[in-house]
Amino acid sequence: MHRYKFVFYRPLQLLPVLFGISVITFILVRMIPGDPARVLLGTRATPTAIARIREQYGLDEPLWRQYFYFLENLAHGEMGKSTLYKIDVLKLVMTRIEPTLMLVLVSVILSILIAVPLSTIAARRQGRIADHAVRIVSTMGIGFPPFWLALMLIIFFSVRLDLFPVSGYGRDPLDKLWHLALPSLTIALSLSAVLTRSLRGAMVQALQSDVATAARARGMPEGIVFWRHVLPNSLVPTINLLAINIGWLIGGTVVVESVFAIPGMGQLLIRAIFSRDYMVVQGVAMVFACATVLINFMADVITVTLDPRIKL
Amino acid sequence: MSAPATTRFSPSAGLSRWLGSHLSLSIGAGILVFFVLIAIFAPLVAPYDPVLQMADVRLTGPSLAHPLGTDNFGRDMLSRLIYGTRIDLQIALIGVIFPFIIGTVLGTVAGFFGGIVDAIFMRIIDIILAFPFLVLMLAIIAILGPGLTSFYIAMALVGWVSYARLVRAQILVLKNSDYAIAAVSLGFSRTRIMFRHLLPNAIAGSLVFVMSDAVLVLLNGAAISYLGLGVQPPTAEWGIMVAEGQPFVTTAWWITLFPGLAIVVLAFGFSLLGDALGDLLGVHE
Amino acid sequence: MSEPVLSIRDLVVRYHGVTPARTLIDKVSLDVGKGEILGLVGESGSGKSLLCRSVMGLLPSRALKIDAGSVMLDGRDLTAIDSAEMLHVRGRKIGMIFQNPSSHLDPVMKIGEQVAEGIRFHEGATREWARSEAIRILEQVGFPDPERQYDSYPHEFSGGMRQRAMIAAALSCRPEILIADEPTTALDVTIQAQILDLLMNLRDRLGLSVILITHDLGVVAQTCDRIAVMRDGQLVEHGEKRALLADPQHEYTRMLIGSHPSLPATGEDEEPVRAAIEKKKTGALLEVDDLHVEFDIGGSIFTGGRKTFKAVKGVSLQVMPGETIGIVGESGSGKSTLARAILGLNRIASGHVAFDGVDLAQQPAKALARLRRETAMVFQDPLNALNPRYTVGDTLREVLKHNGTPSAEIPGRIRELLDLVHLDHEFAGRKPRSMSGGQCQRAGIARALAVNPRLIIADECVAALDVTIQKQIVDLFAELKERMNLTLLFIAHDLAIVRNLCERMVVMYHGEIVEEGPTDLVFARPKQAYTADLLAAVPDIDPDRPLLAPRAARPPDAA
Repeated sequence: MHRYKFVFYRPLQLLPVLFGISVITFILVRMIPGDPARVLLGTRATPTAIARIREQYGLDEPLWRQYFYFLENLAHGEMGKSTLYKIDVLKLVMTRIEPTLMLVLVSVILSILIAVPLSTIAARRQGRIADHAVRIVSTMGIGFPPFWLALMLIIFFSVRLDLFPVSGYGRDPLDKLWHLALPSLTIALSLSAVLTRSLRGAMVQALQSDVATAARARGMPEGIVFWRHVLPNSLVPTINLLAINIGWLIGGTVVVESVFAIPGMGQLLIRAIFSRDYMVVQGVAMVFACATVLINFMADVITVTLDPRIKL
Repeated sequence: MSAPATTRFSPSAGLSRWLGSHLSLSIGAGILVFFVLIAIFAPLVAPYDPVLQMADVRLTGPSLAHPLGTDNFGRDMLSRLIYGTRIDLQIALIGVIFPFIIGTVLGTVAGFFGGIVDAIFMRIIDIILAFPFLVLMLAIIAILGPGLTSFYIAMALVGWVSYARLVRAQILVLKNSDYAIAAVSLGFSRTRIMFRHLLPNAIAGSLVFVMSDAVLVLLNGAAISYLGLGVQPPTAEWGIMVAEGQPFVTTAWWITLFPGLAIVVLAFGFSLLGDALGDLLGVHE
Repeated sequence: MSEPVLSIRDLVVRYHGVTPARTLIDKVSLDVGKGEILGLVGESGSGKSLLCRSVMGLLPSRALKIDAGSVMLDGRDLTAIDSAEMLHVRGRKIGMIFQNPSSHLDPVMKIGEQVAEGIRFHEGATREWARSEAIRILEQVGFPDPERQYDSYPHEFSGGMRQRAMIAAALSCRPEILIADEPTTALDVTIQAQILDLLMNLRDRLGLSVILITHDLGVVAQTCDRIAVMRDGQLVEHGEKRALLADPQHEYTRMLIGSHPSLPATGEDEEPVRAAIEKKKTGALLEVDDLHVEFDIGGSIFTGGRKTFKAVKGVSLQVMPGETIGIVGESGSGKSTLARAILGLNRIASGHVAFDGVDLAQQPAKALARLRRETAMVFQDPLNALNPRYTVGDTLREVLKHNGTPSAEIPGRIRELLDLVHLDHEFAGRKPRSMSGGQCQRAGIARALAVNPRLIIADECVAALDVTIQKQIVDLFAELKERMNLTLLFIAHDLAIVRNLCERMVVMYHGEIVEEGPTDLVFARPKQAYTADLLAAVPDIDPDRPLLAPRAARPPDAA
């Protein structure tokens, strides 16, 4: 069990990264030209509000002091107020986490359900028509722009077949899943293209590996060679790829939420950018970054579980 | 080792693989050359001015006069598509080249010198990678204001990270290779070893990555324009064309279909070229 | 020979990926008797591994096909049966083990499971029964605590134990024949002796027939009953071991035997060696004094401080001009680290290295400048020691230019250097990838000679080469030493080569020098038990000088 010790000390190692995230988000907003108080509160802010924010964030003091005020506020869960929605950024973001989280989860599950069978078929029929088809489709799939793919899916599944809703987010869990069908399919199609390419490559390699040869030399049939040796050895690189792509995946949700009008963090981010609601931009970016760090940490745990050699 | 290597075969080696990578190479290069030619000769091949609004032909489907139809302003979609090639190729090119140069130099330096320099770069990279790529891009563009220039600046600020990581990892391996140690033991200067012996051998992986990165940059650039934060109307660009067609997607499908297809085909070209390069250079991601 | 259990008749294997198809196994006929060990000898590319893979039906590429001939086992032709039937041959009738147990064992599966897998599949055994069987087999191949070790993963074991695990997996379904493909090549000599000992032991106890593929005639001489020699896909000679070694019929066999390093060098009497040792009292070219080298091996503030690995622990050594010193030791003994530290390539933790009187620690700049200009290194892996993008000419030109050779003289010097290492001038225009291992190594030696070195350090520079090429390179070193009065530090794990080339030798163990002295003296009367074990474990080509596997690792007394 000593291999899992990192679960306890890794969060400490992540502190510098979290610190860096706070520095970057801080700098991002301070880089905006103009009076920071007006930038943060919008042009129609009252003089009292401006005075209050000047004091709260120490806007008249040197930049490094301002950063400490920022950190102090952050420690109290204080991320400022949205100028557009007139509520605390943290509260606002909290209400938007669920749809995004659901979207990411469903997308990942869907893409695994697509990628694993496809790569298995391709790798086991390497060099045959099925393999070529999978390779061409997955290579092409990587280049599908999510915003466009979403529209094409809408035309087909919503307009032609009238199967799924065009936009929005449901109320009860089933309704929500039904609303998320097309958005998550959009992301899953792109993501599974990336995963399939990687997993197929890893499987082809593992099928030719010494490990597989040794298993065959012991008289193991291809099925056992594949399920007991090839698949377990191909999973680790793919999990790592999934973890690396998690940032890219979240980027995808930002676009897809905009297309399907899902009230998640991505849509919030885009709206905030257009309405110059910088406190919200800052808050969403920070939450997204922390989520990425957390997901990568989870991927580490999975990797250690799957591969006894890895020590962290 | 001395005799010709007759005992070891990789099952995929041989004719079909050779053909495969050359087929990818020719199709990939063909697609790319096609788009480059179209971009260069856009004024010659485009039947209309891409921003010319023809009030009498709004939202007409594909016809002889307008092979890809017209949009709600009565602009010819084929001409817009052709002129859009210029912008989207530029996005892929500029969006890749600065990150490539910055990342390669920084990655080489970090990997070669190691120690504190390396530690600092690696921490910066960790922090930048903690942000979802598109989110950080959008945040930077939000500050700099919408537009292509902001996009390129954001790309240069964020995109170098993957190249730096890739090259650094390669340099770390090559630094301990026997020929690098031989070079050190022969007294060659650090710059010579770094740029003559290590970098040329380390860069193959990045060159292959350039192609898959071009796909990502193209998709991101188009996405940012689609969201309204990149290229501004009335300029013709594929991402924004999809956005402009969105309100009419149920009635005038041609406005959205063709620009998206163009992106898919161009991206496919880059991917094929990357695969072929990887095969030929013996690099696998 | 007893009645054959396996008969290969006129087997032909061709590679169909090119036109015309290339013949890789050319009408080979061979019998394996019951309970005998057949040694299949040949250099890389001779087809010996491919032959065995054809028998197993495990050809590594779809472009490879058995085009003619038969492989008879129990009255069945293995080349004719379908793949379902073949499953019952592999593992049950014929087991196979490989050169590199690290890559052939599944890294993410417990070793016990890998042994039990075959029992469960072939014999339909229950999980519990397969487990108890696997534990019994693990014990049989020498796992001291099989109950517990069943649940360990391959990376938790040493190379020798991994090979034992491979053997256990191969024997799990009690095959009649075991094919061992270079099973000890990746192992240290003492471990090799133990594994060979185990194989012979298993043969005696289980009545196993063994096909032992190897490039090492010494291994064959020590373990096999009969020998078959292959070259370029053809069986050049086969016969009873003693007869074949004593009276080889084919010229190639004679060359192989002649290249084997354990034969005492012929016609060289010991006087010049003595003389060389006498003349050395002039002042050392290289002096190493109480040298320590340490490496950081991770560790952080969270896992409990900085961890270091002490690779070299207090080594002292003097090298006189014109002397050839062999440094031997098993993997992990610190011999390569020592070499790199001498050249200033590794940081020294403490102690002194002085080259030609200049101390590396005290005057680092001056000493390094001297070292870089007057020493050179030759590496183990000849292909990776050359920049893949440079032609041999580019490589040499760069060194010559750097050392201030006038440009006009460079082409002439390049030709001279190529002549010295016996490479044709056309090699100046070739890149490493288009050259054989031996040719690459010659180019590497030419690069070392380009600096006109006073000291050359050769780090395992023949370990990756075939025996006949090994001999050529060792001969080249002997010739250069003679012609150029080179001082040579020759690092090797192969004791026999050191014996033939070096006047003095140093034995290292776990970072320390345990024994040192004139080579013939150390070989004749080793002072340390460890050295004696090491020497005894070297498989001699003379079957009457049996190798002795050390019963257990015997660490040397304090140096």
